[in-house]
Amino acid sequence: MSLLEVAGVSRSFGGNRAVDDVSFDMGVNTLAIVGPNGAGKTTLLNLIAGVLHPQKGSIHFGGRNVTHLAPWRIARLGMVKTYQVVRPFRTLTVEENLALFAKLRKHVRIEPILATTGLTEVRRHYAGALPFGLQKRLELAKGLAADPDLLLLDEPIGGLSREEAEGLLASLAALKSSGVRMIVVEHRLSEILPIVDRVVALDRGRLIFDGTREEFFRDPAVRTAYLGRSDAAG
Amino acid sequence: MSPDAGDSGGPAAGTASVPLHRRPLVPSARYPLRTLTSPTYLIAIGVIAFFAWWASGSPTSFFALSLVYASIFITLALAWDFSSGLTGYLNFGLPFFFGLGAFTAGYLSWHGNRQVPELLLVSFGMGLLAGLLFSLPTLRLRGPYFTLLSLLLPLIGADFIIAFWTQLHLPTEGFEFLPFLASTPEAELVLLSVVNGVLLTAFLLLRDSHFGLVLRGIRDDEDALGSEGIWTFPYKVAAFTLASGVVAFSGATYALVYTYGGVDTFDFIFILFPVLIVILGGIGELAGAVLAGYLVILLYQYLSPILSTLTFIILSVIAILLVLFLPGGLLKPIRSFVRFMRTGAPA
Repeated sequence: MSLLEVAGVSRSFGGNRAVDDVSFDMGVNTLAIVGPNGAGKTTLLNLIAGVLHPQKGSIHFGGRNVTHLAPWRIARLGMVKTYQVVRPFRTLTVEENLALFAKLRKHVRIEPILATTGLTEVRRHYAGALPFGLQKRLELAKGLAADPDLLLLDEPIGGLSREEAEGLLASLAALKSSGVRMIVVEHRLSEILPIVDRVVALDRGRLIFDGTREEFFRDPAVRTAYLGRSDAAG
Repeated sequence: MSPDAGDSGGPAAGTASVPLHRRPLVPSARYPLRTLTSPTYLIAIGVIAFFAWWASGSPTSFFALSLVYASIFITLALAWDFSSGLTGYLNFGLPFFFGLGAFTAGYLSWHGNRQVPELLLVSFGMGLLAGLLFSLPTLRLRGPYFTLLSLLLPLIGADFIIAFWTQLHLPTEGFEFLPFLASTPEAELVLLSVVNGVLLTAFLLLRDSHFGLVLRGIRDDEDALGSEGIWTFPYKVAAFTLASGVVAFSGATYALVYTYGGVDTFDFIFILFPVLIVILGGIGELAGAVLAGYLVILLYQYLSPILSTLTFIILSVIAILLVLFLPGGLLKPIRSFVRFMRTGAPA
């Protein structure tokens, strides 16, 4: 049994079919959902996390149907989402941001999370006063403090400089090595693909690819979606 | 990359009002000692004790009565700050619970000739019950919808009493000749000061506990809490129910101080002053509400005989000026001063 099974999921907004009959399962530790702008990546992630509910299809997590559960129930089951636009609790300190979630799980300690995400030295700083790069790290740290079985990361390096992105990717690689399972939605393919095991690609709401990262670059449908034609170089 | 706040560019946009650090007075202290050694808490407790002591050798009984009046509004402000200030859910229904407390004390005294401690306790219980019944359906709503419903509450309470008063065979002028809260205004002030000291301590300890972290998280981003596994509804209900109980208790003390409980206890003054006090003290600060409470009510008490109808206008102008020039409330300059004395660093 796969940890996550997405079966025939669809969601429309008015006449726009944001996600159209998408199916895949999570048979690996790290999966990337990629696609051009407007492909439906974030909508799909929101459907999985329960922020939105699908109009068709089903989502099973750990064998349990979570299709219509509230986000907090899904998170309690072990599937936790972080946000593309950082949403720190601005008036709390960094360690209070983590304690909010860690206190609910007796075995979770925040010190290793601070160390992994490089936030130890700013643990007493108010989250709202942190620079953007550290707020991005805090978003990841908050997700880890909720002790997830599966972490859903929405554009974790979006908006970061190359140097900042490298630091955060190193944290993600360390998490992967320690066995944390992740689904990553990301635009910046060349930076994110080295740390993922499998790639799911969307275009205009439809699934156009599901395979390894090596297969991804050779796939004609992917090349068409990204470059406009399947025989283009690169 | 070194995780230093300065190495990733400037502060994030829109963060100017957020201080960079939390610096406890005793850096190694942990909760709850950290809360109980914070400068703002110690100052607020000191001010409460000072006024109680000063009034006991009372310059005038008007002064003592003014402090009693201030103490009642401080209780209200603490309750409002704990629930609405921490969560960001603006509850303008305070006068309903205040009136409920005053009426409960009045009715029990008139009908059952009960003693003061019993009146206070039952009023507190009635407030808890009413708060729970109000919170369960309304706290499922967000923002303006919750606020709108809370605004209607005092009107419903007052209209209900006016509509059914005669059918219930109650005294036409309200409940009069209730027992005094204590034998003298000075003793009443000491009692209310103890109540406010206990409330401030309890609310601050709750604010700095995990329960309070969730309430403050609700104010910052309720949806983000849900995405990471926290069901916020029971936290909100608990905070508003507790605050409602405290407000009803305060209503009972008001009725016992003035030995009267009538429809005017549902007046909107019992939300206007607490909100003004909380804004001046700094929203969510709690200790600031104590300092601002004495300032606002003493100003009101001493200015109103001189300025008559202009009092509210002048108080409003002062409030606008303070909000414009001290948006973080009165505690902000005090904190800056303490920080300056300890580190030499400007605010």
